[in-house]
Amino acid sequence: MFRKILAGLALAALVAVPASAQTLDEILARNLKAKGGLDKMKAAQTIRMTGTMTVGPGMEAPFVMEMKRPNMMRMEFTLQGMTGVQAFDGKTGWQLMPFSGRKDPEPLPEDALKQVEEQADFDGPLVDYKAKGHALELVGKEKVEGSDAYKLKLMLKNGDVRYIFLDADQYLEVRTEGKTNIRGTDVEAESTIGDYKEVGGLMFPHALESGQKGSPQKMKMTSQKIELNVPIDDARFKMPVLK
Amino acid sequence: MKQVPIAMALVVAALVCGPAPAFSQGVKFEADMLGGLEARPIGPATMSGRVTAVDAVVGERLTIYVGTAGGGLWQSLDGGLQFKSIFDKYNQSIGAVTVDPSKPTTIWVGTGETWVRNSVSVGDGIYRSTDGGENWTKLGLDTTERIARVVVNPRDGNAVLACATGHLFDDNPDRGVYRTKDGGKTWDKVLYVAPDVGCADLAMDPGTPDVLYAAMWQFRRTPSFFTSGGPKSGLFRSTDGGATWQQVRKGLPAGDLGRISLAVAPSKPGVVYATVEAAKTALYRSDDRGESWTEVNSSSMVNVRPFYFSRMVVDPSNPNRVYKMGQIAAVSNDGGRTFSGLGSLNVFGSSYHSDVHDIWVNPKNTEQLVVGTDGGIYISLDRGAGWQFVGSLPVGQFYHVSYDMDWPFNVYGGLQDNSSWFGPSRRSGGIPNRLWQSLSGGDGFWAFPDPTDSDIIYDEIQGGNLFRIRRSTLESKDIKPSPQQGEPKYRFNWNTPIHMSPTRPGTIYYGAQFLFRSRDQGESWERISPDLTTNDPAKQRQSESGGLTPDNSTAENHCTIFAIGESPKNGNVVWAGTDDGNLHVTRDGGKTWANVAANLAGVPKFTWVSSVEPSRFDEGTAYVTLDGHMTGDMKPYVFRTTDFGKTWQALATSDVTGYAHVVKEDPVSRDLLLVGTEFGLFVSLDGGKTWAHDTAGIPSVAVRDIAIHPRDHDVVLATHGRALYVIDDISPLRKLTAATLDADAAFLDARPQWMVNGTSDFGFNGDGEFVGRSPAESAVITYYLKKRHLFGDLKLEVYDSSGKRLASINGGKRKGINRVEWSMRSDAPRFAAGSGIIPNLYAMMGPRALEGTYTVKLIKGADTYTTTIQLVPDPRSKATAADRRAQREVVDKLFALVERSTDLIEGITSVRDQAVARAAKLPAADPLRKRLEALGAGMEKQRTALVATSKGEGISGDERLREELGTLYGNVNGFDGRPTKSQVDRMTVLAAELDAASVTLKAAQAKDVAPLNAELSKKKIDPIVMRDK
Repeated sequence: MFRKILAGLALAALVAVPASAQTLDEILARNLKAKGGLDKMKAAQTIRMTGTMTVGPGMEAPFVMEMKRPNMMRMEFTLQGMTGVQAFDGKTGWQLMPFSGRKDPEPLPEDALKQVEEQADFDGPLVDYKAKGHALELVGKEKVEGSDAYKLKLMLKNGDVRYIFLDADQYLEVRTEGKTNIRGTDVEAESTIGDYKEVGGLMFPHALESGQKGSPQKMKMTSQKIELNVPIDDARFKMPVLK
Repeated sequence: MKQVPIAMALVVAALVCGPAPAFSQGVKFEADMLGGLEARPIGPATMSGRVTAVDAVVGERLTIYVGTAGGGLWQSLDGGLQFKSIFDKYNQSIGAVTVDPSKPTTIWVGTGETWVRNSVSVGDGIYRSTDGGENWTKLGLDTTERIARVVVNPRDGNAVLACATGHLFDDNPDRGVYRTKDGGKTWDKVLYVAPDVGCADLAMDPGTPDVLYAAMWQFRRTPSFFTSGGPKSGLFRSTDGGATWQQVRKGLPAGDLGRISLAVAPSKPGVVYATVEAAKTALYRSDDRGESWTEVNSSSMVNVRPFYFSRMVVDPSNPNRVYKMGQIAAVSNDGGRTFSGLGSLNVFGSSYHSDVHDIWVNPKNTEQLVVGTDGGIYISLDRGAGWQFVGSLPVGQFYHVSYDMDWPFNVYGGLQDNSSWFGPSRRSGGIPNRLWQSLSGGDGFWAFPDPTDSDIIYDEIQGGNLFRIRRSTLESKDIKPSPQQGEPKYRFNWNTPIHMSPTRPGTIYYGAQFLFRSRDQGESWERISPDLTTNDPAKQRQSESGGLTPDNSTAENHCTIFAIGESPKNGNVVWAGTDDGNLHVTRDGGKTWANVAANLAGVPKFTWVSSVEPSRFDEGTAYVTLDGHMTGDMKPYVFRTTDFGKTWQALATSDVTGYAHVVKEDPVSRDLLLVGTEFGLFVSLDGGKTWAHDTAGIPSVAVRDIAIHPRDHDVVLATHGRALYVIDDISPLRKLTAATLDADAAFLDARPQWMVNGTSDFGFNGDGEFVGRSPAESAVITYYLKKRHLFGDLKLEVYDSSGKRLASINGGKRKGINRVEWSMRSDAPRFAAGSGIIPNLYAMMGPRALEGTYTVKLIKGADTYTTTIQLVPDPRSKATAADRRAQREVVDKLFALVERSTDLIEGITSVRDQAVARAAKLPAADPLRKRLEALGAGMEKQRTALVATSKGEGISGDERLREELGTLYGNVNGFDGRPTKSQVDRMTVLAAELDAASVTLKAAQAKDVAPLNAELSKKKIDPIVMRDK
């Protein structure tokens, strides 16, 4: 699913220092700077992304992803005139999937809840990672799709592990990999991230390809439009009450 | 900091800290660029491959580690159902795998198989993972080449001993028993005998870890001979944790000893077993911690091929139950006095693959056994009575590969101890194990379909046994040439070459010490050469091979032809390379032969010619690889001649690693060369001046053979440990010129794109089977990027000949070759909301593009690049172009009908919603409110006539116009050919229904809406707006 990555200005590259001298904190600082800086990031209260995702070969669905501080998210996609929703209001994760006749929302199962909770982290997991209870370490440099990247190992508070790869020149996220423990089994996923464009002084990736690690089947999500600070009512994220 | 435009910032950034700018030296071709041209593993795993070592961890779930002869290390987290490879970046020959008994996430791997058959690979040291196999660190012993055991102290995970068998082919001091006390940071060689004596086995007393037993083994293999045993072999014991060792002799046989295997009884550590290869090989038992020994058994279960089957394991809870590996796995329940074979045995052997190398006995449930064999892993839950094959380990050791001209083409090849097989190179949904068909038995090598009759396959098994097999019936005829009156015995290599003439389809070559040619499918053979080998009697002692245990399996047959190649430019030019270092060429169809081996500068005399590849472009040009590894010479030798072998140019640079098995020249671009070595695939785009190690989807596995399909431009790799791989369509590599490499971005031309419409079959096979990967059933667009694209759009747009945009696709952004798939469809029609998705896959897809030429634009930031791609029908399709045009016409009409119905339904829904919303603003008693509500209800009634609206999640079967149109659209859209009359007629009916519904709506709206709007206007309420459509 869409991992919102706040990104920043390419200016950071101008002050890049030799890779060997990089510590984790320096890399994080450059990453933050590359995305536009903490101030601009914190100034954003809501994000709305509108785009298209592939749901299979030759099958596309428009989507709208909305996020609001501190940790609310809503993802909608439309197929054959029907709109599915997955959302998290900071406490409750729920979905409405009308594609086989269901009209009512339902709470998300544990595995999907884990995912939306993670997606709802407005600034991304690297910002204030300690306060969020995560642990982070710099593993080293590795090639991602043939180009150098810094590999960060993020141990989430919930015990899952994510590897975050930052482009070695620009310090922006280019890939995430992770294992999510679902009913005792680790499910491995990977996402490739690109097409960074500036929106309101922040660098946003507009293209994402994700799927099971090693599998050629990948879901592509492309944002056509990203808007900041559009008013979004909290009610959008709450599970509708059943009548 | 002042803000500057991103583009400018990037330019500056590139100058300050970027890589070498393009305008200097030009961009060098490198492995990083090949990622988009990823090889796909097609397996199969139906025969799996040789497993060398097994260990497991009993937890809530059973974790199993499987070390293989050439396919790396695999892990199962679910008790042996699914496996994944966890060692792809490292040496693929595994000698030992040991889980730290005190810390189950720490795993030690010793590389280099110790079952030293003729085809064995070489390792490069010892590795450890401390996170359950996710990350690995190499911890030395790099030059030991082979590690038989790693033993970890159960009380101290940093105290580890490694049993290094060492070099097989030459004297070398890096062998013996090594010990570390600091988790592998430093090692001491604590037991060493001689440069030709290695450690064959090592056992630790689990109760008293300071007590250790080591088997030291004198052994040697050469290209033509194997020796096991000698005066320097012996059994050693240490009582101080390996610091000092004493040789143990009491009760053991006098005279030369060979390979010894060792096992301590965990439940009674004073009991130790040893099989000792000697003049009389036998099992010995000690009841006093190895001080003295008593012979207990010398049956065939115990003394079979000690160099190949040496492992022995004592049941963790029963000191008298001993498992001994062999051609079958055997067990003794009486302390070694008698052995019987596991499983239900008959004259053909066991239900599990023969040649068993390791066994794991579950210490918590000793009924459960896992064995590793020449044909993969088997699991028993009843102490070996019945066995379950694990079908998820694609670790087959192919020697060679070939193809036919079917579509999709089939792949043929033979494997170590696993026959020859053929199966499809692609299939919708993947290639399951069951689609592979075996051809023979024993060890398979070459298998070629006859180019004049694809029902004929020439198939060779070990030692030169040649068969002609009918593919359709599998009937098999022996067509091996036999010595005629006055001729010497024919010498055939273990891996005897067959060669198919490229100039005269139907002509085949076969090599012994003489070269043979047949023009009648092997019914008769013409000898077209004298003995082309050195015919050195010293290298023909295979009947004496084996050392203490005779072992004449034909694996040591020598002074034989190993490589044959006829020039595609001139059928009279034929090359023959031999295992003893001769390389002959004839230019007159075999009348006269010249030995040109001496012209190969820098190659030691007698070095094995592993492949020969005559050029397709020039009859004087040929390529050869030579392989000296069986004399200890691990260098890759790759050469080219352009003058029939008079002079040679060495092509292997330091970028090529591993001894060389095969070289292939691309049939289209003479500058594109592929080389397979023991450590992988190497690609040159400049005729061998520079090379890149292709790791795109390919582990560091031995590539024994390469085939380039001349019609489809696919490369097929025969790996010796990871079965088969296909690299789809290498045409883009031919376009990767220096100028292209220097460009920021460039399209790379590919083959025409087959319009394959995916199919599916009905099968629920669980998760325990490997399924070979099939290519996408899409058009593949290939392009090159000089560096990773990070900022701004990178997308592809596809246009038809009228300039209409059919698709916009998010493109790959990697450095080097990118491949992006286009579904060959435009956007799907818009549907109105209903009670569910129309259950037809093709209703969710847009119309299929017709065959023809399409324009593709690559939009990269501000730059646009343009090319064309060609769509061609599925070669299997029976439909004509007219049929597909007819389909497209109907699809287009249905598309329009679906969207018209959508507009209509959405118009109705809109009026309904407006009426209801306005009614809600009025008092309950207001008559206008009633009229608005009535309009709303009337519209809803109309909607329910057009759209399925049944509630709930059951299978409603509810179908209205939306569903009927959608299903019909999907049905016609899903078959690439002429629609049926019934479908076309149905379209007419549905179109009429849509027209009628449209008329009804307009009438209703005309009647109701205008007067209502007049009333609404009086109340200053917005009028109801009707949609135009």
